Amino acid sequence: MFRQSLRSLARVNKFAGVRTYAEAANSDVLKLSLALPHTAIYNNKAITQVNVPGASGEMGILANHVPIVEQLKPGVVEVIEEAGSTKYFISGGFVNVLPNSKVNISTVEAFKLEDFSAEKVKTLLAEAQKNAASADEAVSAEANIQIEVLESLQAAGVH
Amino acid sequence: MKPPLPPPSPYYRNYATLREIETRLKSIKNIEKITKTMKIVASTRMGKAQRAIAASRVYTEGDYEFFGVSETKAPEEQEKTLIIAITSDKGLCGSIHSSIAKTARRKLAEIPNADVVTIGDKIKVQLLRTNAQNVVLSFNGIGKEAPSFYESSLIADEIAKLGKYDRVEVLYNKFMSSVAFEPTYVDAFTAESIDASTKLSTFEVDEESGSTSGLAQYSLANTILAAMSEGYASEIAARRNAMDNASNNAGDMINKYSILYNRTRQAVITNELVDIITGASSLG
Repeated sequence: MFRQSLRSLARVNKFAGVRTYAEAANSDVLKLSLALPHTAIYNNKAITQVNVPGASGEMGILANHVPIVEQLKPGVVEVIEEAGSTKYFISGGFVNVLPNSKVNISTVEAFKLEDFSAEKVKTLLAEAQKNAASADEAVSAEANIQIEVLESLQAAGVH
Repeated sequence: MKPPLPPPSPYYRNYATLREIETRLKSIKNIEKITKTMKIVASTRMGKAQRAIAASRVYTEGDYEFFGVSETKAPEEQEKTLIIAITSDKGLCGSIHSSIAKTARRKLAEIPNADVVTIGDKIKVQLLRTNAQNVVLSFNGIGKEAPSFYESSLIADEIAKLGKYDRVEVLYNKFMSSVAFEPTYVDAFTAESIDASTKLSTFEVDEESGSTSGLAQYSLANTILAAMSEGYASEIAARRNAMDNASNNAGDMINKYSILYNRTRQAVITNELVDIITGASSLG
C-alpha cells in the first residue's frame, strides 16, 4: 500500500505545479483548529495563513511550517483565508503546529476584534492602572494582568 | 371468672384496610410524578451536555495530537502516582458513581501508596470508607451545571499545590452513548514526561519561556475539563435512564395497587350487604 502511494507521489512530482486532491489533503494546505473549551471556532478547516501572538513574538504560520509548540500571550490571531481575513482577540493559550501542516490553537476565550468596545477598554484600563498601585499584592498583580491584556487590545486597534 | 384476654400481638397481621391501600397508592402516584419530572429535566440537559462534549473533544484533540506526534508516555515505574477521580454530588443515577469507586479501588489495590484527589461528594464518601488514608484532597459543588474551564483551572491550580507527582491519572466515566458509559483512565502528562518524550525534537520548543511546564499545567486543566464534561454527560444520561426505569416501575405498581384497591372495596361492600341482609332476614 505504501509503495503504491509513493509511486503516485513520484508521478505527481513529475508534473510540478499540478495539484491533486490527495496532495492537497496532505501537507500543502494549512489546516486550522481554533478551539475554546466550550466551542470550536475552526475545526480542521483549510486556510492560507494564520498569524499568532507567540510568547517570544508575533509569528505567521504558512503551510509546511516547522513543527512548533509555543505559549501564546493575549493578542490577535489573524486567520487569512481565500475569502479574506478574520481577526480574533484571544486570552492567551497554546499553539502547536504538527508536521502535517495542522495548526491547533487552544485558548480559553476568543472574540472577533470588531466586537470589542474601545470606550469600555479605556475605562477598564484607567481602573486597572489605579488598582495596580494598590498595596495589596493580589489586587495589584491582578490589575497588572488586566493592563497587559487591555494594552494589547488597544495596540490591536480596537475601534 | 374468665381470664383476661391476652394483649394483641404486635405481629398480628390483617388484610390491608381500604384506607391503607389508598394512602399507599397516592404516595406511589406522587413518586411517579417526581421521577417523571426528573427524567424530563435530565432529557433537556442531555442535549446541552452532548454539545459540551463535542466542543471539548475538539479542544483537547490539539493536545493529544501533539502528545501523539512527540510520543509522550507516562513513566512505567509507578513511583508517586496521583489519581484524580471525577464524579458529582448528586445521586439517583444508577451505578455511575459506584463504578468509578470500584475502578479506583482496583487501582489502589495495585498501587497502595497512590494519592487520590476526589471531585464530587459521591466518590469521596465511597472512598473514605475503604481507602481514607489515600485521599489527599477533595472538591464538591461541581456537576450541577455543565463544567466550565474556570472550574477546571481552579481545580488544577489546587492540585498543582500538592507537589510533584511522577504520574497523574484522571479517572472518569467516558460517555459512550446515551445508554452506555465506561470508567476510563487518561494520563495527564507532567512536565518531566513531556521533556522526556522520544520525539519531542520534532518540534521547536522555546525553552526559555518554560513552555513545557506551562503546557503541562494547561493540559492538566484541559484534561480535567474534558473528563468532567464526559462525566457530566454520562451522569445525565444515566439519570435519565434510571428515572425512566423508576417511572415504569411506579406505573406497574400503580396498576397492581389500583386492582387491589378496587377488589378490597368490592369485598367491603359485599360484607356490608351480607350483614344487612342477614340482619333483615333474622328480624323477619
